[in-house]
Amino acid sequence: MIPLSHLLTVSIGLFAIGLFGALSRRNAIGILMAIELILNAAALAFVAFNAYGIPAADRDAALGQTAALFIIGIAAAGAIVGLALVLAVYRHQRTIFADDMHLLKG
Amino acid sequence: MTDAWLLTVLSPMARAAFYLLAAVTLAGALGVTLTRNLFHSALWLAVTLLGVAGLYLYLGAEFLAVVQVLIYVGAILVLLLFGVMLTARIADPAVPALNRHALLAALVALGTGWALRLAVRQAAALPAGPVAPVPLETLGRGLVTTYVLPFEVLSLILIGALVGAVVIARPERRS
Repeated sequence: MIPLSHLLTVSIGLFAIGLFGALSRRNAIGILMAIELILNAAALAFVAFNAYGIPAADRDAALGQTAALFIIGIAAAGAIVGLALVLAVYRHQRTIFADDMHLLKG
Repeated sequence: MTDAWLLTVLSPMARAAFYLLAAVTLAGALGVTLTRNLFHSALWLAVTLLGVAGLYLYLGAEFLAVVQVLIYVGAILVLLLFGVMLTARIADPAVPALNRHALLAALVALGTGWALRLAVRQAAALPAGPVAPVPLETLGRGLVTTYVLPFEVLSLILIGALVGAVVIARPERRS
């Protein structure tokens, strides 16, 4: 039987790797991928807590799985808008490198 | 059903499968962030997402595992691959993959991970073992009763994102 802390460690590892990717990647699509990693880490933590009986109330027995479903939906919406933005910026600026984009810099 | 579940939990093979899945998931995540070629990154992302789907299966959330494979690997990943294909020079070795703050980013990520791990270690009472898996009926019933409002809001967000993406990505007309 796996202790809950091991599952949470996997989730934390995913989150930390995703955070590193989101902060260090130059390519905007690479940043999007790292954000998907972070969202997956959160969903995994939700499902893990759910499988170990948190919350205990009968009415909310599936709360963690429901939250994970919503996370997947939000991730889809985020990926769509993010890619549309990347395409629009690429058309105007001819670059998808996040550190070359400085339209908003005064 | 419950007996079979207990057997699965107790058997050492399931334990080995868990650690294998965890290792595959984390290795895939490292591949996503450290690979220089963005196309290979997307393939590593598929490995990670399938690993997480396997972990969902291990945790008794079969429906979520299927949704993960269908939506993440089937739809979102293909969308990301489209984006990779449309942008030039992905495999050019002269273009650095990481920005100049990579070291600082690694420090921040390690620090955050360490702090979260500390929080888990110091948590007063984590539950000792898994409970019987939630039946799919409970999940579906909750979506149309208790959580019906967030469910509908999510569909609004999706339609908004769809329309917004079309508007943003549409080529401008020369007038």
